Order: sequence, then C-alpha cells, then structure tokens
Amino acid sequence: MSGMATQTGFANAKANGLAEFRLIPRIETFPAVVSFAQTPLGKVALLAVFGLGMRVFIPDLWSVLTLMVPLALITFLPEYRRFVLAISPIAFVVVQTNSDPPLLGLTLAVIASAVFLYWCAMRWPRSRFGQRPVLFLLTGFVALILLARAAAPRSLPYLILWGLVGALASYLWFIAYALTDRNSKPAKELTLELTALRPLWGSTNTPFPKGAAYLRRIEAKNSEQLAIVQLKGLKLLLWAILLKVCQTLWNRFFHQYLLIPTPDQSLAMSVHGTPVALHLRWACQLLAYFELIFTFSIFGHRIIACCRMAGFNALRNTYRPLSSTTIMEFFNRFYYYFKELLVDFFFYPAFLRYWKKHKRLRMVFATFAAAFFGNSLYHLLRDWQFVRDNGLWSDISSYQVLFFYNAFLAAGLCVSQLRKRDSMPAGFVRGRLLPAVGVGFFYCILNVFDADERMFPLIEHLKYLASLFFIHF
Amino acid sequence: MKGRAEIHEFVQGLLTASGDDGPLADSDSLLFSGRLQSIDAVEIVVFLEENFGIDFAQVGFDKEQIDSVDAICTLTETVTKSN
Repeated sequence: MSGMATQTGFANAKANGLAEFRLIPRIETFPAVVSFAQTPLGKVALLAVFGLGMRVFIPDLWSVLTLMVPLALITFLPEYRRFVLAISPIAFVVVQTNSDPPLLGLTLAVIASAVFLYWCAMRWPRSRFGQRPVLFLLTGFVALILLARAAAPRSLPYLILWGLVGALASYLWFIAYALTDRNSKPAKELTLELTALRPLWGSTNTPFPKGAAYLRRIEAKNSEQLAIVQLKGLKLLLWAILLKVCQTLWNRFFHQYLLIPTPDQSLAMSVHGTPVALHLRWACQLLAYFELIFTFSIFGHRIIACCRMAGFNALRNTYRPLSSTTIMEFFNRFYYYFKELLVDFFFYPAFLRYWKKHKRLRMVFATFAAAFFGNSLYHLLRDWQFVRDNGLWSDISSYQVLFFYNAFLAAGLCVSQLRKRDSMPAGFVRGRLLPAVGVGFFYCILNVFDADERMFPLIEHLKYLASLFFIHF
Repeated sequence: MKGRAEIHEFVQGLLTASGDDGPLADSDSLLFSGRLQSIDAVEIVVFLEENFGIDFAQVGFDKEQIDSVDAICTLTETVTKSN
C-alpha cells in the first residue's frame, strides 16, 4: 500500500514536474533575482540584456538607443515615469517628421484636438458628446473623409484634408479609448492619457494595451513590482526571439525546402488555371494557420515586452491560442487587444442597448455588431488611402472578400457563444483535443478569405474553397 | 434583494466554469487581471440587470465597475440608493 502510494506520489510529482516545466524559467518568482533587479547594477544588466534582445527586431542601433534611453530613465527614476512616457512619443513625432513641416503640424494638431476632445468628454460627461463620444468621433472621421474626397484633386484643401485624415487615422482608436476613460481626472492624469496616445512601446492601429484606464490599473506601484514586471517583460522578449527563430526555421523548411506555396500563391495559381495539387492546397492552408499565430505572437510579445519594461503589467496579446477549445476562445487568445477594441466599442454598446428581452438575439446582434460591423469599419477606416485613390464606392465594393470573412467569423463566434452555455464533454480527447482540432479547422477554412491584397473577387475565393472539397464550378 | 454573498457566489461560479479554481477575495481583479473574459463580463451584466434592475444603458458601463466583487457591491449600492 505504501509502495503504491509512493509510486502514485512519484507519478504525480513527475506529472506536476512536466506541467511546471518552463522553457524560460519564471525568473520573476526568484527572490534573489527580483532583489538583484532592484539594485543599480541589476537595473543596468536588465536594460543591457533587453536592449540586446531588441536588436533582433530593430537592426538599427540608433532606433534601439532612442527606445532604451526613455526606458532607462523610467527604470532609474520611476517617479517620473508618466512624464517621460507622455513626452517621448511627442518628441519622436517631432524628430521623425521635422523634415516635413506640414505633416508635423497636422500631427501636432491631431494630438491637440485629442486633448481638447478628451477634456470636453471629462468636463461634460452628461452632454450628448459625453455620453456617446466614440460615436461622435467615428462619425466625424467619416465626415472628414467624405469632405476630403469632395475636394478638388491636388488643390491646397485636398492636401490639407487628406493629410489630416492620415494623421487622425493613426490616432483614431487611441483617442476613442481616451474619450471613454470615465474615471480619469483631466487636471491630474493628462500625462497618463498622453502616454496611451500612440505609446512609446509601439502599436498597430489597435492600441496596445488599450487606453489609460487600463494602464492605471496595471502600473507598478513600487520598486519590487517594477522589478517583477520588467523581468516578465524580459522573459516575454526572449519568447518572441525564440518564436522568431522557430518561424525562420519553419519558413525555410516548408516554403524553401519543401516548396509548399503560401495561400495567396496557391489561390493565384488556381485563378490562373494552374492549381497546385490538392494535398498542397490543404497543406498551405494548414501552414498558414500556424504562421499567422507565429506572426501575431512575435509582434505582440515584442510590444508587450516593451510595455512591461516601462512598468505596466499588461496581459499578452497572444496567449496559448492552440489550447482554445472554442472559436470564441481562440478569437480571445489570438489577438487580444483587437478583440478588446471590438468588444469595448461595438459589442457592449449594442448588447447594453438593444434586444434586452431576447437573450439569444441580443447576443447574436451584439456579436455581429462587433465582429462584422466593427471589424469591417476598422479596416475601411484603416485603409483610407484606397478611398483617396479609388473612391468610396470602389473601396467598399473591393472589400467583398473582407465582408464575407467578417460575416463568416461573426457567425462562428455566435455559434460558439451560444454553445458555450452547454457543458463541455470530459476527458482529454473529447474535452480538449477534438475541440481544439475543430477550432483549427474553422480558422483554416476562414483563412481562405483572409486576403489583404484584394486581388481577386469573392467568387474566386469561394471556388478555391470548394476545390478543397473536390467541388469544381 | 441579493447581497455580497450572492454576488461572491455568482462570480466564484463564473471562475469555476472557466477552469479557475483559485481562491477569490472580494478585492481581486477579475477582468483586468485576465481571470475572466469579456463573455463572462456579459454574464455579470445580465446577472446585475436581472437581480438588481441595473440598466447600464442609463447608468453608463465601465468594466472597472464590475472588475471585483467589491466594485460590483459598490455599484449595486450606488444604483439602489439613487433609485
């Protein structure tokens, strides 16, 4: 009996040991390391290793130094963190655009307008603007695009208006978060709001990590917390480097050695009447699923690692997506901050206002508001250059593949959320493995419509999808 | 009228359903810490609408209002008093 108990205990210990195994050790839980990271020598070492790590992603030494100087200031003088972070992005804008005074002027005008709108929303929260600030912002931006489109080409108003559209487009969702920061105190926390306005650590058009309200909650409050957060940042950067190495090996093996095409290449060959073999079409769809995860993990980890080095314990943008057992869970784990944007600005407003008496309809409506309408609007506004060059209607009609993609995704998310209410089957195979494979299959199929280039009409994508299942039309 | 114990029990149920069996203190962050997801926030909203008559379209919605059991209790007390 005791022998069996010992064996069981050993087996458990072994299982726990496997579960506890970390490729990169949890250095932020080692007291000696945390203590060392709080000493001047430890801070220098941490910054040096982090700077070296960043060079993997930023080959230009000068760019790495311009990032590391503010991070060093924050590390040694944390009481000036908000001030340093508030002025750094503005300083970067001035340095980067000083050779183009009109662009610099327009960008500074956008920042000043953002501060003014934020102040208005905080000052008059009960006004029409204060209650629906994002609606006003997005409507105003669309109106600005229409106005710019109406201007005579190459005229002064045309240049000014399109310049303003370009400058505002990159700040749009950052301003949206600032306008909804209900607990902000404009007189005291302007520095934090400016920090979140295209922050030092970088972003896409999607704010990483959300706005100042979130930063306020996750900011390190003392030197020990700062050391822990920075160690987590360093760890995440090491993860990003490791994934980048894996991605490079992956690409060399599958695309350069085995010569498996990318989905875009495979689709183009099918459209031109020379399709690749069926197994290669499936292989490239499957590879694209993993490659997207690589890409999003690497750029997200790099940004969040810098954010953590600045003293904010932000959640990862991509977190174990392959363990997702539902479509909704994958969507949440794959590109967390984009999903949060859609949820904050489209899902909740729709869910809280409409169809309150009809539970399922309410959920479906809000999901489509976010995953279809919000997602489509985000991309339409992001690609404002296409409207400038080809016109609004041409832009919308060229988005037919994206609209289909978003509708397909929204439908999948609806089904996923409605099914979530039922209990999941138990066991590893039925409870975890099969659902994870099902989720992967859904996104492999969805990726057939993930076309940024907008080279082919929807029908070609549908034909390609059908050909994967032996259907030809 | 439900109280703190019911709110705590409801939140604990959400955590358990999402595979989080860890202890829950009333001050623990739920959404900003990543312990609960947006879909769980929806469950909390519906719970508060049904049991406390809170209309978020009227009072305004902010995730900070439902980020912990303490925050939820503060919200329900504020709304109850204003009614």
